[in-house]
Amino acid sequence: MCGIAGVVFKDKKLHPVGKFMTRMLDALQHRGPDSAGFALYGGLGLREHEYLLNIEVKEKPGLLENVKSTVNTAFQIESEEIIPSVENYIIYRCKVNLESFSQLKPLIMDVDKIEDVIVLNGAHSFEMIKDVGLVKDIAARYNTEDKMGTHAIGHTRFSTESIVDRYHAHPFQSYIIPDITVVHNGQITNYWKIRDPLERKGHIFETDNDTECIVHYIADKLSQNYSLEEALEQSVKDMDGPFSYIVGTPNGVGIAKDQLGLRPGVMAENDEVFAIASEEVALREVMDTSDIEQISPGETRAYTI
Amino acid sequence: MQEFKINAQQKTSRELNRAIKKAAPENDRIIIENPNAMHYIAAGLTESVELVIDGSAGYFVGTMIHGARVHINGNAGWFPADNMTEGEVIIDGSAGDGVGQGIYGGTVVVRKSVGSRTGEIMKNGTIIVGGNSGFMSGLFMMGGRIIILGDISEDAGESIIRGTIYVGGDIKSLGKNAKIEELEEEEKGELRELLEGYDFHLEEEKYQNFRKIVPRSARPFYGQESEEGK
Repeated sequence: MCGIAGVVFKDKKLHPVGKFMTRMLDALQHRGPDSAGFALYGGLGLREHEYLLNIEVKEKPGLLENVKSTVNTAFQIESEEIIPSVENYIIYRCKVNLESFSQLKPLIMDVDKIEDVIVLNGAHSFEMIKDVGLVKDIAARYNTEDKMGTHAIGHTRFSTESIVDRYHAHPFQSYIIPDITVVHNGQITNYWKIRDPLERKGHIFETDNDTECIVHYIADKLSQNYSLEEALEQSVKDMDGPFSYIVGTPNGVGIAKDQLGLRPGVMAENDEVFAIASEEVALREVMDTSDIEQISPGETRAYTI
Repeated sequence: MQEFKINAQQKTSRELNRAIKKAAPENDRIIIENPNAMHYIAAGLTESVELVIDGSAGYFVGTMIHGARVHINGNAGWFPADNMTEGEVIIDGSAGDGVGQGIYGGTVVVRKSVGSRTGEIMKNGTIIVGGNSGFMSGLFMMGGRIIILGDISEDAGESIIRGTIYVGGDIKSLGKNAKIEELEEEEKGELRELLEGYDFHLEEEKYQNFRKIVPRSARPFYGQESEEGK
């Protein structure tokens, strides 16, 4: 199953989006106890070429220094933070200044070559927080409830397709264009049919997880100047299987549901907020839900600010 | 009238259902406060009690009830009244997919629109939807009646075997083994009586526009229709 949620504050101003998404995901905790994650947009406040890296590093003598050295060799680390270990791994967060977005993925791949190190993500306009365990525990470890932003997506995971670890927790991210994220509930049964043409175009897959396939697909469409709505509509035609997923972009969120309607999706909207989720119980955390709408089979919804 | 209130706040579904079942034999009406769209409310309730859920319910509200009358002052998630054998589930708001899935008897009423696969594999009983109903409504329906006052979406009555789907609005497309028929005057009268009883007051023109979806064959996949006594 898995729980998915998304919220947009329509006024484009900063709101305690971390707190709201924590509540939404906690309400969906019963849908997946394995891991959880957030993509919180709009609150990082980075300058034009600044990027935040989240790197999982095993607690081993000298390894963190090796990571810092690798990053510093290419680009200067501007600031750093360490999230303490829970399973012999720490999360090392650092801010770097790149000349262009195209340098981000090569940097990540260089760091990934170090044994017992994996880059969880690199971002400019959103903060990725994902980990194994329960929503409230993760939120407490990463001070998620203090994070401000304009919109967010989130996920509670019930693992079916791949191992349970931080990297395979959702959201997944694509580096085809900046800051596209996806959370997903379901399976893409024509996975290879979607993946093959993307790989032939040069898009790099890091896992065999079908959610990564979705995020690359959507990012590829957006890179071809599809609007978010158009990319979602085309994805429903091209992808098979039971699924509903939510996409996060620097400007909004959207949801798509498979053509047989085998996974849930509901939405509610008022003058201030647009919210989508697996179940009403999550929407209730951000608004009065006297009127909710079911997302129909094959339907998509999106809101951009 | 003996009335009893249960606050669902801080309770798990199991704890709430245990409290409902304990209170049901000694009360005429039970009110559930702060339901917060919780799943499985009133699962397996077999007392003839009135249960008022003061807010929204989650998945499988009223599943497998026998004789209880459940009134939801909000919305419901997927599969309300699933496999109900006798009783009533009334939802003032909207509902998700699979409303009345597999019911053997009783009545489900949803005042607003519902999701997909309404009344799938239902064997008997009645489902009334005040708004629209989605994809594959009446999927593998084996008996009973579904009444949709609004529109019905694609593949209506997909693989329907028995039973009738009455539609007041547009029918987007029919599923396999489904066909459309006009209503007899007697049927319109029965519909009027039933709907008035649940506070749906329609203009006469609406009754004239009702059509019904019925099976083409009672044995569409294998066997002989003569085995059905026809």
